[in-house]
Amino acid sequence: MTNSTGNRWSLDRRTFLKGTTAAAAAAAVPGAIAGRGALAQDRASTLAIAAPATPQSLDSEYDVSLGTFETVAACYDSLVEFEKIVDPGDPDALREDIKDYPNNPGRVNMKGKLAESWEVDPDSQWVRFKLREGVKSNWGNELTAEDVVWTWHRKLELGAIGGFFANTISLKRKEQIKAEGSHVVSFNLDHPNPLLLKLQPNLYNPIYDSTQCKAAGGTDDPWAKEFLKNETAGFGPYRIEQLTRGAQAVYKARDDYYGGKPAMDTVILREVPTSANRAQLLQGGAVDIAQYLQPLELVQLANAPGVSVDTIPATFMLWIELNAKIPPFDSIDVRRAMNFAFPQEQVISTVFQNLASPLTGCMPDIYPGFNAAYWEYGTQDLDHARELLKGAGYGDGFETTLGYNAADATQETTAILFQSALREIGVNLQLKKIPAATFYNNVSERKQPMIFYYDSPWCPDPGYSMNLYFHSKSFINYSNYVNLRVDELIDGAAQTGDMDARLAAMDEVQQIVMREAPWVFGVFTNYSMARRSDVRGWTYYTSNNIRFQDFSREA
Amino acid sequence: MTDITAGHSERSRWEAFLHALRFLLAVLRARPLFALGYVIVLLVIVLAIFAPLIAPYEPEVANPTDFLQGPSWRHLFGTDATGMDIFSRIVYAPRIDLTIAIAGTMISAVVGSFIGAVVGYYQEGGGFGSFGAGFVMRAADVLQAFPVFVFAIALVAIFGQSLESIIAAIAFVNAPIYLRLMRSQVLAIRNMRYVEASYVSGASDLMIMLRHIIPNSMAPILAQLSVNIGWSILLTAALSFVGAGVVAPTPEWGSMIAMGFQNIITGQWWPSVFPGIALAVTVFGFALVGASVEVLADPARRRALAGTLRERKKAA
Amino acid sequence: MRILRYIGRRSLFIGPQLFGIILVSFLLVKLIPGDPAVMMLGPFATEEQLAMLNEEMGLDGTIIDQFWIYLQNLVQGDLGTSWQTTKPVFDDLAIRFPATLELITLSLLLALLIGIPLGVAAAYFKRSIVKKFSDYYGLLAGSLPDFWLGLILIYLFYTIMQVAPAPLGRIDFAVLPPAPVTNFLIIDSLIAGNWQALWSTLGHLVLPVVTLAVINAGPILKMTQATMERMLESDLIRYAEMCGLPKSVVIRKAFRNSLPSVVTIVSVLYGFLIGGAVLVEIVFSWGGAGQYAVQGVLNADINPVLGFVLFSAILSLIIYLLVDLIYFAIDPRIRG
Repeated sequence: MTNSTGNRWSLDRRTFLKGTTAAAAAAAVPGAIAGRGALAQDRASTLAIAAPATPQSLDSEYDVSLGTFETVAACYDSLVEFEKIVDPGDPDALREDIKDYPNNPGRVNMKGKLAESWEVDPDSQWVRFKLREGVKSNWGNELTAEDVVWTWHRKLELGAIGGFFANTISLKRKEQIKAEGSHVVSFNLDHPNPLLLKLQPNLYNPIYDSTQCKAAGGTDDPWAKEFLKNETAGFGPYRIEQLTRGAQAVYKARDDYYGGKPAMDTVILREVPTSANRAQLLQGGAVDIAQYLQPLELVQLANAPGVSVDTIPATFMLWIELNAKIPPFDSIDVRRAMNFAFPQEQVISTVFQNLASPLTGCMPDIYPGFNAAYWEYGTQDLDHARELLKGAGYGDGFETTLGYNAADATQETTAILFQSALREIGVNLQLKKIPAATFYNNVSERKQPMIFYYDSPWCPDPGYSMNLYFHSKSFINYSNYVNLRVDELIDGAAQTGDMDARLAAMDEVQQIVMREAPWVFGVFTNYSMARRSDVRGWTYYTSNNIRFQDFSREA
Repeated sequence: MTDITAGHSERSRWEAFLHALRFLLAVLRARPLFALGYVIVLLVIVLAIFAPLIAPYEPEVANPTDFLQGPSWRHLFGTDATGMDIFSRIVYAPRIDLTIAIAGTMISAVVGSFIGAVVGYYQEGGGFGSFGAGFVMRAADVLQAFPVFVFAIALVAIFGQSLESIIAAIAFVNAPIYLRLMRSQVLAIRNMRYVEASYVSGASDLMIMLRHIIPNSMAPILAQLSVNIGWSILLTAALSFVGAGVVAPTPEWGSMIAMGFQNIITGQWWPSVFPGIALAVTVFGFALVGASVEVLADPARRRALAGTLRERKKAA
Repeated sequence: MRILRYIGRRSLFIGPQLFGIILVSFLLVKLIPGDPAVMMLGPFATEEQLAMLNEEMGLDGTIIDQFWIYLQNLVQGDLGTSWQTTKPVFDDLAIRFPATLELITLSLLLALLIGIPLGVAAAYFKRSIVKKFSDYYGLLAGSLPDFWLGLILIYLFYTIMQVAPAPLGRIDFAVLPPAPVTNFLIIDSLIAGNWQALWSTLGHLVLPVVTLAVINAGPILKMTQATMERMLESDLIRYAEMCGLPKSVVIRKAFRNSLPSVVTIVSVLYGFLIGGAVLVEIVFSWGGAGQYAVQGVLNADINPVLGFVLFSAILSLIIYLLVDLIYFAIDPRIRG
């Protein structure tokens, strides 16, 4: 599963559909605690965030919206997490250490969170966690192995997003997750799966307080579906205090958090759907962090007094799906021609203000196993594109449609630049603006010949990424790309613990995919954090969200 | 209306035309505002026809090396976020805006007036006809009770985003206006002696309607038409502004304003301001023409105006 | 007693008319493509989940069944839920309609303040600058796109001069809003005695109110001017003038007699602005009712659209009824 599929989907949906209603609605909400005035005395320990949307459902089994993950990351803890390092390009920012460590167990550099230690099978067929003792949930219940078992049984039982994750780590039956004592739990697979440990820190896999969930759900709702929509029951550093959808969410730090109370006592997430408005609020000092700003706004804010903008390479990828089931994109040459015609440099400098870099591959370049060598589309080459079209029998060009998300200004501008470039090679591109709310449906229906997609795979692993986008049976393979060799390589890699063999196989997949070009390879967009300069501690996660517990205010 | 009947010779017809033209010119001299209206409308039409000759750049070709340039000699009105020349786009825009507005208004006028004429004609006949007429009027009430803008967006959402749907939406929301207008005209005219006379002489309903009623009720419709075209241009722009209008990057004033919306807050005012001015001036022009038609088409007011003109002449 | 009889006859039509409006809007929004269940459950929903939700929402029957269910809920005061806000439409509208009404009421009041004096003066001083100005103004005001004018005002007074508050809704972020009683922020702040909130609310109202007032003063001015001109030429007023009544009395008399048409145009504008202020609402992030409905249409969220159409139809009916009552109050002929 990907985060920003849904993440973005929902962000856009809400951004657009609410238009700009929310700020006003917020103002009319009873007891709204807001911004500076009310909080001046606690300013040092209060974090105000202008976000494009407040959480919809808080249950990550069903909801993939932006605010949901901010909430999950603050209110729940996972068993383990990646170690953090200082970003090589930005001394003010931390990031996860997701490199391949051939000598570490599971080849990852992780540290315990709810688990204080763990053992992992060298073949990655089982893993055993020893849980920390005395950890309390926000409802006061103590963490036991039973909570971990319940959490994964819930995924198997409900079979939505969690079901996907269970399947991804080859977990099929309930008895494969065993409580081996009050604080020991193990996962036992039928065959090796390299992602068994790597997927544990994924934001979709937090541990629930099963005691509270069972009590709240009762017999009618044994998996607490209703309860978890509006409440949190986890072992993380925050609890949700107030949630007014479309207006704001308020989080309070927990005094009894096992890792120590976080620096920011209160976090207010205000919904401000228009990016220009979020930028204004940050500039004026009304909020500490403004999320998801347009490139031009970031450039402008970088020069504003009291504001800092950190921008670092991230896992966000923007590309155009070329639907292999709709002619002429069933032809590899036509797809390659589209890539050679794409005005990438111009898009990066004009649309993204250089806060992006060429999409030199088909997965994030910061993930292990990435290989940029197969990228041929570095410079726009219209002559070559014309030749390819002629060879494919489209010497006179053709007409097609490109769908883009109405809520994303960068997509519209990119589309217009591409349209102009394609006209040069005789391709008449019609643009189709799709309302944000229905955009994702349009992508997943796979009926558009060309459609933008903005996403990042949430697990720093090549097999995971390739499987998502290019396996013919993957739900996320939105370009209808089918290559049996690719399927075979991916299937093989998913069932082996031999990391070197996997990396080799995934390298071959990248080579094939880059040549056959099921996408127009667009850009990696940076993750940009626009914050007041006195807010410190920002950490970049591959999940592209922020975690409140990282922040503190410089005195 | 000038009486030009079949008995007149070519010569007198020509004279009548000259007379009308002279009168029009005199009116325009006396009322410079009206003249301004005709100038604007003509200018916009000329722009629409000769756009390729006037515009210095292609209206839909991006030039990313020149994005968001302020107004200069090279780009008179500056460039937008994709580097397209705003002046050229403004010059091309009336092709879309006028097409939509004129087509939409015409359709609504023809369909609306026709239904209005039928309804007005049968309303007082009793029986099935008047029942049907009552039903149509109630239906029009219901349609008009809808908030216009929401209704128009809903129509575009249903038919899909295309030129045709926008035209259909505009025709739809305007039709009740003509329906009512025509109906009240017909009601008034139908009871006049000469109409009754031809009825008695055995003319069919259709003949009466075509020969007497419709020609005699055209004046207010014409005045309404011009004002309505201006209003439809505004509605088209508004639809584009919320994203239910033309497809990007079609040069259309409303969609240009919307695309420039983001830039205005970061300080680049030109992508939104210039198309707005062009839009306002055009609508202003049509409103002026409408006002003049209103005066000229109303016999009483025309006579009053002619009187004033004569007085002025004498005074001069 | 005539008035009671009149109102009685009038209300006979209200029922069928409202029914017609609900029926037509229901059929209309049902035609909008988009599956609400898919949008509510998100991309990872299974077929069974979709089917279950459709059944829950009563969307599995024929369109007639669905309409029947909608009507039944409606009678119980249930307008359904919006999948976008996840809240009952009724609650949403209870916040958004006051937002819109506050905005357009003040706008029309200001428009009257501009339009009436100008119109009266233009009608009385026939060859003056005022008359010229009024002629231009009346035509020009109707030609300006309101959303564009709003943008320009924001650019001038917020971006450049920085005297207006951010175009971000009805009240400042940092200000604690008053406890909601009527959801009209001005009234609520007064009730709560919350002066800071009142000040902030008024500040946020200035630009959108000016935007709408400048544009809607046009038709008011034209109507006032036209009827005043007619009145001033009427026998009654000529007679008054000849009797040597002072100018101010004559104007007042003439104006009093032109009031009905001014009231009519104001009521028409009011009815129009309930949905027609939506673009200004969008530009100023107002969170009004029109904006709510437009987002509903664009996102196949049908309940908000239906709720909005129903609410505004009822409001229009109330306004027209009020107008009739005002006629009775001001027009001696009808009162007689």
